[in-house]
Amino acid sequence: MASPHSSAEAGRELRRIVRINEEIKSVVSTAFKINLMAMNAIFLAKRAGQSALGFGVLSNELRRFAGDLQQQMAGLRDATYGSVATVTALLNQSRISRLLERTRIEAQGEGKALIQALASRRGETTLADNDQQMAALNRRLSHLIADTAQLVELGSVLARSAKIEAAYGGGFSTSLMQVSSDFERTIGEIQRSFENLTKNQPEDVVA
Amino acid sequence: MKTAHAIYEDGDHKWLAMVRDSSRPDFLIDTNEYLVISDGDALLLDPGGSEIFPAVFSAVSTGFDPRRIHKIFASHQDPDVISSLSMWLEFNPGIKCYLSWLWQSFVPHFAGQADTFVPIPDNGMDIVVGARRLQAIPAHYLHSSGNFHLYDPKAKILFSGDVGAALLPPAEDGLFVEDFDRHIRHAESFHRRWMGSDKAKRDWCARVSALDIDMLCPQHGAIYRGADVARFIDWFSRLDVGVLKG
Ligand SMILES: [Fe+2]
Ligand SMILES: [Fe+2]
Repeated sequence: MASPHSSAEAGRELRRIVRINEEIKSVVSTAFKINLMAMNAIFLAKRAGQSALGFGVLSNELRRFAGDLQQQMAGLRDATYGSVATVTALLNQSRISRLLERTRIEAQGEGKALIQALASRRGETTLADNDQQMAALNRRLSHLIADTAQLVELGSVLARSAKIEAAYGGGFSTSLMQVSSDFERTIGEIQRSFENLTKNQPEDVVA
Repeated sequence: MKTAHAIYEDGDHKWLAMVRDSSRPDFLIDTNEYLVISDGDALLLDPGGSEIFPAVFSAVSTGFDPRRIHKIFASHQDPDVISSLSMWLEFNPGIKCYLSWLWQSFVPHFAGQADTFVPIPDNGMDIVVGARRLQAIPAHYLHSSGNFHLYDPKAKILFSGDVGAALLPPAEDGLFVEDFDRHIRHAESFHRRWMGSDKAKRDWCARVSALDIDMLCPQHGAIYRGADVARFIDWFSRLDVGVLKG
């Protein structure tokens, strides 16, 4: 669906954006959790000292990842907010279109001709503008989602590497393993959220 | 579909009433719209809700070129009065809307820019339509706290918004009040419940009693003519208003 012309389509579009927004909210809170987990991991690695150098480096990377992810999510939230504003305008437009269509059917003579002219002017300008706006917003959303999904992929690689490093943690190995499994599980949650996000994309702009 | 009736005509000075929308769904209150025409200029009174725009526009354009409607008068802020402003502005973005200053920043939630609205001060103002000068008559708290009626001294017509409104059963929904006593039963509970201030009601009765009125035209129900106008004012002055039941 490129752009909603009927209020049913606009309503669907709005519900799609709400679903995206809900998913974003859950990722944002998870990203916050990762940030805390990474801080703990850094302290743990410091205590483990020489035997957890590699793990320490990865913890720092994971913490940076959590920060980047939060930033990406803020961008996504802006984009969905913009989409809500546009869809609201579209809902208004489609209501006006529906009422004009009813007027065109009901009116006679000069009145009918006037409404017909107005409707076709709107079709060429307002509705075409809406198409473009909606397409641009959807493109921006898709790109942001694709970029963020890639970032999450990187996070998942980091978590797996941390798990491997944990094995070399000597006496701290068990607790390091515990922490890196937590990372892996949490990033797995985020990945599932992104699968949902990608599913909620309009078909014609899925990246 | 609504029909336009000429209720007053003197040369190019005319009042059209757009009434009784047969295609209106039951869940929408029925409304009357009026168009005052003079010298090719026109003022639309309480244009109605957006859902009935098709009916109002179609009825208006059978009797008048809608492109010549440059002004809209909104007695108050209610959705059944002015939510169609969005549609009228879509049709003609230059339309000016006369409205109590009180609602000037509320009604733009329906439609319009800052320069769409001409605020009416509390004591009223004159509104020029073609060669005619009409008067916005204060009717605050009846029922809205920023509320105006519109008086045409030449046609001797008072547009009275929700005052005089009656919710008529289909069998008794003629354009004019024919049997006052029968009619007023359909107006009573509406006025008791909707009109909030007894003092405002007495002020209004005194104010309009001083006007020379041949027709009192409400936004809902039937038009009062001749002696029924004074009958209505008298009835209203004695009615106990601002009550929740009874
Ligand atoms: Fe009202
Ligand atoms: Fe009303």
